[in-house]
Amino acid sequence: MIRRIAPTLLAASLLPGCGSEEEPPVEQIVVREPGAQAMPAEAASGANGDLVAAGKAAFAACAACHSVEAGAPSGIGPNLHAVVGREAGSLAGFGYSDAMEAANFAWDEARLTAFLGDPNGVVPGTSMVAGAVSDPERRAAIVAYLTTLSD
Amino acid sequence: MNRLPENKAGRGRAARWTRRGVIGAGVLAGGALLIGIGIRPGNPVGRLKPLVAQGDEELVNSWVKIDTDNTVTAIVPHCEMGQGAHSVLGQMLADELDADWDLVKVMQAPADGNYVVTDTARMFVAPFTMNAADWIEPTYNGLFTQIARLADAMITGGSSSIRTTGQHQMRIAGAAARQMLVGAAADAWGVPANEIATRDSMLIHAGSGKRAPYAEFAAAAAEQPMPQTPRLKDIGEYRLMGKSKARTDIPGKVDGTAVFGIDAEIPAEHPAYAAVMRPPVPGTEVVSMDAEAAKAMPGVLQILNMGDHVAVVADSYWQAQQALAAMTVEWSEPESSIATMEDQFAAFAAALDEAGESGGNEAAAKGDARAAFAEAPRTIEAEYRVPYLAHAPMEPINCTAWVHDGKCEIWTSTQVPLMARKQAAAAIGLDAGDITIHHPMLGGAFGRRLVSEYVAMAARVAKATGYPVKMIWSREEDTQKSMYRPADMIRFKGGLDADGRLVSYDSIFTQRHDPAEACVPAGYAIPNVSVRVAEAPLHLPFQAWRSVDHSQHGFFTESFIDEAAHAAGIDPLDYRLAMLADAPRHKAVLERLRQVSGWDTPAGEGKGRGVAMVESFGSIVAEVAEVDMTGGKPRATKVWAVADPGYAMNPDGFRNQIEGGIVFGLTAALYGELELEGGRVKQSNFHDYRMLRMNECPDIEVALINSGPVPIGGAGEPGVPPIAPAFTNAIFAATGKRVRDLPVARQFA
Repeated sequence: MIRRIAPTLLAASLLPGCGSEEEPPVEQIVVREPGAQAMPAEAASGANGDLVAAGKAAFAACAACHSVEAGAPSGIGPNLHAVVGREAGSLAGFGYSDAMEAANFAWDEARLTAFLGDPNGVVPGTSMVAGAVSDPERRAAIVAYLTTLSD
Repeated sequence: MNRLPENKAGRGRAARWTRRGVIGAGVLAGGALLIGIGIRPGNPVGRLKPLVAQGDEELVNSWVKIDTDNTVTAIVPHCEMGQGAHSVLGQMLADELDADWDLVKVMQAPADGNYVVTDTARMFVAPFTMNAADWIEPTYNGLFTQIARLADAMITGGSSSIRTTGQHQMRIAGAAARQMLVGAAADAWGVPANEIATRDSMLIHAGSGKRAPYAEFAAAAAEQPMPQTPRLKDIGEYRLMGKSKARTDIPGKVDGTAVFGIDAEIPAEHPAYAAVMRPPVPGTEVVSMDAEAAKAMPGVLQILNMGDHVAVVADSYWQAQQALAAMTVEWSEPESSIATMEDQFAAFAAALDEAGESGGNEAAAKGDARAAFAEAPRTIEAEYRVPYLAHAPMEPINCTAWVHDGKCEIWTSTQVPLMARKQAAAAIGLDAGDITIHHPMLGGAFGRRLVSEYVAMAARVAKATGYPVKMIWSREEDTQKSMYRPADMIRFKGGLDADGRLVSYDSIFTQRHDPAEACVPAGYAIPNVSVRVAEAPLHLPFQAWRSVDHSQHGFFTESFIDEAAHAAGIDPLDYRLAMLADAPRHKAVLERLRQVSGWDTPAGEGKGRGVAMVESFGSIVAEVAEVDMTGGKPRATKVWAVADPGYAMNPDGFRNQIEGGIVFGLTAALYGELELEGGRVKQSNFHDYRMLRMNECPDIEVALINSGPVPIGGAGEPGVPPIAPAFTNAIFAATGKRVRDLPVARQFA
């Protein structure tokens, strides 16, 4: 005597995912990256433009793999002290990818900027699979910071 | 960087699937075992093995694996949310396998299409096929497996795990595995299979004196034919089923090693947490947000306007929550004109008024109720109401997500891992196959985690940030902006004959979901019945809440039956028994309850007893509540319950669920209520959405009746529906005051 209704538990799941359109943010305010030092508010918003300071802060994300102090042991990636001007794949004792070993150039700001934007595009086969920086301003800031890392 | 959640399994008895399992599969080469058997058409074991096998283990089929140390692991597709299903499912498999229970482990099946709960889906869609003949069973199994896969039906709900997956999958898996082990031993020993006995994970041939542990033949068993419908044990042969074996999930919960969704370790050097704010009124969206103050607050990483919610990501959850509280968000105008509960009940009343004496959609009908009213010497009428209720699971709503390299990994507590995967996939534009769901234990759910909106939210936020994020809802967020047991209003009319018997019954209400039969009084012989639904708008969204429609209809129906008994001047228990002449199981339950509760003895000064009986999810449960009014307010001092599930696979576990259902239902009946202010939920946390406290909890006694090998019933929900009416019927017995509007505490404020 009971009129069955469609069991809602299963019926709902047979429908396509509600609004199966991808739903990106309407507005995204990036204050800083995880692990980066908090910056003065004006630096964070980019108003000041202290590129090296911003780069140093942004580098905190890179520091998970790269050390920067002179003589410090390399991490997952090579030590980047005095990287500008150094031959690619040349830091003694670091296990580079074959691709990086074979690279025949010295790091300059342009190379670093390009590599940071698309590591595998610049050195196909590099083992740097994480850490690409798509935001050009952040990239420029990080490279500006790297140029300061020499004795 | 790739630090994955540490597997805590092995410290307790419950193992679980981990990433390590996948890595471990690499060293499994050579141990080729492929068995899909009657549980799954086709042969998925080769593909599943890397997902669930570790070390030197051999998979016997999709649901069981046997390690070299003779450990048997039951791989269970349902989640463990406190209901104890993991352990009992393991018990059922182990019994059919004749496994040594001390060497049995239970493991959560991974979120994979091969682990859809075919028989749970089947019970919901086509219950009439549940006990099919052997020759057609493989066809049905294949059909419903396909349906279940399409629906991503890896579901834990509907009090169904034991009676569907347990009875129709775990037991068959255990029996099939046993048969194959016996076959392998028979071949090796050159003896007839029917001469080989199995006991405590050992194969024994009495004639030759040969004995071997299962592990010795685990690999060879794979070469044996796959029995589609192996013989299952009769009740007299059970060794583990029907016994109160200690639950495998308890030690970990006591010593703290059990892992819940919220325990997920964020796979990042610098973990990030998200706090979220959803629309205060359902259906509204973000118009604008002012993040100036929040941006400058400590720990803040990102602030996101996601359109339908706002998220703050920070170094710690506390910092995220503090910054979120500092934000000003403007929301769009709500479409619903319902701003208060008065508005909501006015909308219900309008729909019922419009339907009148005979309108609305017919949900059930028997005889001619309206004609019978005309002839009845006496009619009674009553209107009842129930409020919205929140699920309020103890573990806050949470989800950890990491979107990287075109893939997504998710850690969360969910009752529906594959549906969660699908919803997350849609929300971030990936294929479901690119998403891995890790779903450990749930710290309560009660239906709340049958929906996955929080999983999609976390995936979207994680995609936007590019790094792993653990999203946690505050208690306030879940209390105020979730989905709910609906409020409703019902109007009854009853026609009594000259002897007071209920000869005609009409009810009309506005909200109908699941199960379809919840609105119809079960068991009672009433010659003329009309049950109608007049749909009315619901301001807050519906979500199944432990026992679903039974939660309100148990209260409605069993209160009204009580009213009829008192109108007839007949003892309410006798009155019910008189209507159960053709329902021997129901009758036996009530008679037993009369006995155990001392129903016929005086309740004492200032006290009263009330009775109610509801059949739900395949189990018949009747309860007597004793109420003490001497303090001026009703206090439930004692509850007796008698339950007939057909057969309780683990009596202690079953009693535990009935007791839990009583506490859950009594909490709701006494305190449970969400009010609206300007369309927003007013209650926010446990201070104003109260739980029953230890000193308010009645003494509870549960008696079980195993009435026989009928299709067995569920345990998780059936304890809930009878307690509210038993409690309010007891209040009537003690005071003469009929409670027709919950919660009770409001009536005695």
